[in-house]
Amino acid sequence: MSLQGEINKCLSAAYKNWIISKRNVFTVFELVFWPLISLLSIGLMTRFLNIGGETVAFLLVGAIGLTILQICQIDVAYVLLFDMWSKSIKNTFVSPVRGYHLVLGALLFGMVRGTFAFTILVVISRILFGFDFLAGGVHTVLIFLAGVFAVSALIGMIVCISILLFGQKADVAAWSLSGVIMLISGIYYPISILPDPLQLMARAVPLTYFLEYYRSAYGFGDHNIMTGAVMVAAYMIVGLIALEITIERARSTGILLRLSE
Amino acid sequence: MNYAVRASGICKGFNTLFRGKKEVLKDINLLIDGEEIFGILGPNGSGKTTLLSIFSTLIYPDRGELTILGIDARRKTHEVRKLINISTGKPNFPWSLTVRENLRHSGMLYGLHGRELERAVDWSMESFDLHQYQDTRFENLSTGVKQRLSLAKAMLNGPKLLFLDEPTTGLDPQMAQRTRALVKRIHRDMGVSVVMTTHYMPEAEELCGMIAFLKEGRIVAQDTPARLKRCLKIGERMRIRYRGDIDANALRAIPGLISADLSAGRADLVIDKNEVTFSRVMRTLQSAEILELELEEPDLEDVFIELAG
Ligand SMILES: Nc1ncnc2c1ncn2[C@@H]1O[C@H](COP(=O)(O)OP(=O)(O)O)[C@@H](O)[C@H]1O
Ligand SMILES: [Mg+2]
Repeated sequence: MSLQGEINKCLSAAYKNWIISKRNVFTVFELVFWPLISLLSIGLMTRFLNIGGETVAFLLVGAIGLTILQICQIDVAYVLLFDMWSKSIKNTFVSPVRGYHLVLGALLFGMVRGTFAFTILVVISRILFGFDFLAGGVHTVLIFLAGVFAVSALIGMIVCISILLFGQKADVAAWSLSGVIMLISGIYYPISILPDPLQLMARAVPLTYFLEYYRSAYGFGDHNIMTGAVMVAAYMIVGLIALEITIERARSTGILLRLSE
Repeated sequence: MNYAVRASGICKGFNTLFRGKKEVLKDINLLIDGEEIFGILGPNGSGKTTLLSIFSTLIYPDRGELTILGIDARRKTHEVRKLINISTGKPNFPWSLTVRENLRHSGMLYGLHGRELERAVDWSMESFDLHQYQDTRFENLSTGVKQRLSLAKAMLNGPKLLFLDEPTTGLDPQMAQRTRALVKRIHRDMGVSVVMTTHYMPEAEELCGMIAFLKEGRIVAQDTPARLKRCLKIGERMRIRYRGDIDANALRAIPGLISADLSAGRADLVIDKNEVTFSRVMRTLQSAEILELELEEPDLEDVFIELAG
């Protein structure tokens, strides 16, 4: 087993997603159009409500974080969705790749797309709304992005797992789950305004910690980034193992065959 | 000796929504040495795809033991996957990737990289006559080229054993013939063991040195094509309506006449076209007045009924 071989198994997923993405006109919408719409909506709303500097930053961090989360998570889910839509899932799973090759490769490409969108969004919000995304230094931005990408990978994996467990239509349920995660992790508000049980749940979602971390650079309270980092790392490991188990199970139930019909 | 495939007691069932578990494969025992192309022949729904999917470790059996190329395929699935590949009729690949991109992607799945990857891709395009399509997207390829791409993909990792699932379904006769020639080349010139499924007897006859008949998830017969054809009564079917008398014994004495069913002005004959001339049959029929004559290739479903009966 050569390292280069292992890397290329991962890159196979990135390569496929890259070509499909490159040829898909909707990529422009995914990466530029919709992100700008949501950024401008939030930005203009802050004008209308006459909100001051820090709070604007608070909301823009949420809007930008949410956007790149969505872009990156769908890339991870695409690794299985593209195979399913083109009915070529057999080719993938008859080869000696494992779940983590697919997820890591797709994540890599998701990070490229996410970073691209992030760059556009921070530049635009700097120009239009005076948002200084480097207020906490470069490392703050990098740690925040790393956290968002890791959470994206988790959501993408949950989508893949649901499909392998319950079949094609299950992705809808999985996307709804990601909606709930966004709701409780406080995209547009501090989680302190949530009812206690939801706050407790929010503390179990790593995204919460990464949002708080980035926002603390703009003077919004404390953060506990270590907890978030350890949590997301643990979730990633659990997620990858769960995906591996699910793939093996899909081979036993035969759903892998049905998904390729 | 290492068998290409050594399967014993393979059973597989699928859970269905309303009717409980559906048993698709029932106690499959097979020894395939890989010297000759091995054919698994069976009508639609008999479990061919399921069986090949199990052999290629795409899915797992419920019970039974499986050794592929001497490796325990129930435990060392990854080792097996490196050494085999599969190609199916009506193949599918990501639509918007070109031939070269699809091959490159498939090669990467096997861990090929750099020069080695490009060489494998070039070699397989060369071998399957795909160079002129290398920049054509999969969605714009004709059925025949898609099929060749599928074979090319299956050869990328230099497999020792290749599974082909109905490689000629959906192809026109010319394309089917070309594909069969490629399968022969893969086996003979590239030295790859081949296990293939088909529901078309002439194809099995042309390619395979040994055939197993799969019916409703069981292997009901296994032999060389020539011997199987006799005991399975595969041939041309001739239906006749006549007036008068036909000498049934004379008819049955014709070599190559597999079966003759005569009753009330109707004769139902199965003839092995390779061994008997129609004229000989017709001469025997001369004693009667032929009102109607119909020729058809019996489909496998008929043949299986006869075998079971
Ligand atoms: N993944 C699956 N889930 C449920 N039933 C299946 C699945 N795959 C195949 N079957 C059923 O198993 C039987 C055999 O199918 P298959 O192996 O595809 O036969 P063949 O390839 O000989 O046409 C069919 O009745 C089919 O409906
Ligand atoms: Mg089939």
